[in-house]
Amino acid sequence: MTGAWSDPVAWAALAPLFALAGALLVGLFGRRWPEPLPGVVASLAIAAAFVVAAVASVGLLGRDAGVALTLWPFLPVAGLDVSVGVVVDPLAATFLLIITGVGLLIHVYSIDYMRDDDGNARYFALLNLFVASMLVLVLADSLVLLFVGWEGVGVCSYLLIGFWYRQRANADAGRKAFIVNRIGDAGFLLASFLVAATFGTLTIADANAQAGSFAFGAGVLTAIGLLFLLAAAGKSAQLPLHVWLPDAMAGPTPVSALIHAATMVTAGVYLVARLSPLYAQAPAASAAVAWVGALTALIAAVAALAQTDIKRILAYSTVSQLGFMFAAVGAGAYAAAVFHVFTHAFFKGLLFLAAGSVIHALHGEQDVRRMGGLGRRMRLTGSSALVGTLAIAGVPLLSGFFSKEAILGGVWNSTLVEDYGSRLLFALLLVTAGLTAFYMFRWYHRVFCGESRLARDVAAKVHESPGTMTAPLVVLAALAAVAGYLGLPAFAFPNWIKSWLAPSLASVGALHPPLWVEWLLVAASVVAAAAGLAAGWWIYERGRGALAERVGGGVMGRFARDGLGFDAAYRAGAVSTAEGLAAGLAVADRDLLDRGIAAGVTTASWLGRAVAAWQSGFVRLYALATLIGLTALAVVVAALGGRA
Amino acid sequence: MATFTVLAVVMVVGALGVVLLRQPVHAALALVGTLLALAVTYVTLEAHFLAAIQVIVYAGAIMVLFLFVLMLLNVQRSIGPQRSLPGLRWAAYATAVVLATAVALVAFWDGRPAPDPAVVSLHLQGGSAAGIADVLFGELLLAFHLVGVLLLTGVVGAVALVQRHDGSAHGAPKAGGPLPAPEGPVGSGRGRKRGALAGGRRS
Amino acid sequence: MTVPTEAYVALSAALFAIGAMGVLIRRSAILVFLSVELMLNAGNLALVAYARHWAGFDALAGLSGQTVVFIVLAVAAAEVAVGLGILVAIFRDRSSTDVDALSGVRL
Repeated sequence: MTGAWSDPVAWAALAPLFALAGALLVGLFGRRWPEPLPGVVASLAIAAAFVVAAVASVGLLGRDAGVALTLWPFLPVAGLDVSVGVVVDPLAATFLLIITGVGLLIHVYSIDYMRDDDGNARYFALLNLFVASMLVLVLADSLVLLFVGWEGVGVCSYLLIGFWYRQRANADAGRKAFIVNRIGDAGFLLASFLVAATFGTLTIADANAQAGSFAFGAGVLTAIGLLFLLAAAGKSAQLPLHVWLPDAMAGPTPVSALIHAATMVTAGVYLVARLSPLYAQAPAASAAVAWVGALTALIAAVAALAQTDIKRILAYSTVSQLGFMFAAVGAGAYAAAVFHVFTHAFFKGLLFLAAGSVIHALHGEQDVRRMGGLGRRMRLTGSSALVGTLAIAGVPLLSGFFSKEAILGGVWNSTLVEDYGSRLLFALLLVTAGLTAFYMFRWYHRVFCGESRLARDVAAKVHESPGTMTAPLVVLAALAAVAGYLGLPAFAFPNWIKSWLAPSLASVGALHPPLWVEWLLVAASVVAAAAGLAAGWWIYERGRGALAERVGGGVMGRFARDGLGFDAAYRAGAVSTAEGLAAGLAVADRDLLDRGIAAGVTTASWLGRAVAAWQSGFVRLYALATLIGLTALAVVVAALGGRA
Repeated sequence: MATFTVLAVVMVVGALGVVLLRQPVHAALALVGTLLALAVTYVTLEAHFLAAIQVIVYAGAIMVLFLFVLMLLNVQRSIGPQRSLPGLRWAAYATAVVLATAVALVAFWDGRPAPDPAVVSLHLQGGSAAGIADVLFGELLLAFHLVGVLLLTGVVGAVALVQRHDGSAHGAPKAGGPLPAPEGPVGSGRGRKRGALAGGRRS
Repeated sequence: MTVPTEAYVALSAALFAIGAMGVLIRRSAILVFLSVELMLNAGNLALVAYARHWAGFDALAGLSGQTVVFIVLAVAAAEVAVGLGILVAIFRDRSSTDVDALSGVRL
């Protein structure tokens, strides 16, 4: 065991400890530190974790297997031996790099964004704690430890969404996120129970190994897969549990960037990817995953068209992109999904940080209808936002293009969901890609281009954000531009990321159509992107923007803006029921308990008054009472025959 | 037996007189009668010394003290039982009757054989002073001393209670003498209605 | 023939009861006091009667009973002295001996 620690790959297990140490230090003492110190300490903790992650990743190059390390026994129960351990393999290392790398950039960004906030230390402590939990989730070797990290990120998400808890709306948003997550967690627990019952183990590697010996499409595997889908849908905001993510924008923008774009929401994708051997054996469950993803992608894209808040557009966009990732893991293209997680972390994180930069410069304005023309005044923010927009739209040669192309190709060529409508899935995703390009163009244009619709007093003070905020933007923009070259289309080019991830993921056979079909698919996605951007240009740049916005404000638009009725349905169904129940119980509490107790009180005081009559101060009454007592005694003795 | 009956009747009548007579002085005199009859009863019970003491101390000293205070305070005829607490009278009557009956019954049911009078006389020696002294200074010596302390306390207390704090006891006598107004000369209570002597309600 | 002890006890009980009645019925404090004296004497009577009874078996018992009565007498005397002193003090203050009005406790 000690020998294993000499292996630099194993040092990745220290990453969560660095983050946790940062969280404790800043959490316990940060309140008394002068301003940038909490942020700097927190950033250093993440930097240390990043270094360890990088070292581990380098160490994994050229090896075909990862390192599995058991740290200590946890639950040695007969028949189910659970211990705390880590697995550091390419999949884990990829996520480690994303979490610590993007996390470090966001920490640095936050130093200026959260300047002068009362809860500065609390913010950084929570952010570090979040990173620690996410790292535990990613490194876990058993479902139990994974769940610990799963819950940890849920709690930190709740605390950070409701960071400015003094506004009721923020606290409500945090609560909504937590409750919806909880539904997913129930799925996770049920699935874990089923895994333990079926495979007799909660260690992921063992469960995956045993899954292969089950019949293809076995019912129990499908059941496990569906339950884990429920869990992933809750955490990654897929239908029907996606309603919390748009509201989660109530938290500070760096939080939205880190948690709700780059890391926590990808935990669902990670879960399915980790269990890929199991899903590969359960096509029905995989198909469910894929369909949930595709439908979510489309619906969220439609909703994004009608949003007017700069962050809510991005939130729905995140939901939509996650749908893409789910479609990919459902279809068996696990590497493509993880690749998209990788690139999405860069461009979505970039877009959120740019939005934060804008909000910061406009002193809290978040309505895109009151923005415009900012690209001229905030050059760095504007240009990096442009890079991000083009990347997410799928413009060729930027990272988003390559990862989206990998997903589309993977879905079309999928053998796993071939019988479940893989071509239809492809079509949905293609349309969504077009919509994505369109609404992202709209986002960019409304904020940075055209004439300024800013309020007069705000317009005077607009300026570019300080260096600690724009530097991460530049770094992320660079990554969003070039990261795609790690995953060139596999059919014709060396796809490095696929071979890097291969040891961690199940290999599912794919169709290999002739080369021209593959190139046609690539062309199709380029056309979709182009169409979306062109439509955006035609409407917004060519001056029909006002008309379009009026349409967006109409009945259909409002329906879309309100999340296509999901929130309303939940409110009518679940929330009203709960409130009705609470009101009923309140009546019972008030009328039964309170009145009952009041009646008791009245009785007691009546009794007291009755007895108080004996304390009249009327001496003769006392004397009479004494005499009566004595007489009673005499009578008793007499009654007993004179012998007492 | 006859003696006993006569004495019993006298005592009960006297007791009823104490309780029921209107004039306070009459009530006090009724009590004196009862006490004297009691003293005679003691004699029949071979407690001669006690009988003497009863007459001297109780009827002679205590009742005289009572009469002094009665006249000092000039208590007029007492107001009969009023309706201050309705039913008190009847409750009192009933309770008293029940109590007496119960105790009497107990006594009769738990009856022991009467003692042999010869033996009693031998032992009691007529309840002479010598016999009582033997016990008082022997068996009950502690009680005797405590009674002494009690009497001392009583004396001190009584003096403290009636002392005046305005110094007039030691200074020049106030007009009207050491007695507080509105009492006039002892016994002339008639016509002196002011001062609520008749036990009128106050405060 | 000797009068049975029970007869004396019954008589004592009757006197006691009458005295108790008097305590409850009388309005003037002095008359209440008088009734209390009656009760005390009733007790003494019972004691003396029993003293004679037990003297049939043991001299000490009999004489002890009478000595106790002696002591009770002394106590009664002290009590009367102090009680009447209190009464006088109260009368000085309120010019009334009405028992009902003497209470300091208000309902």
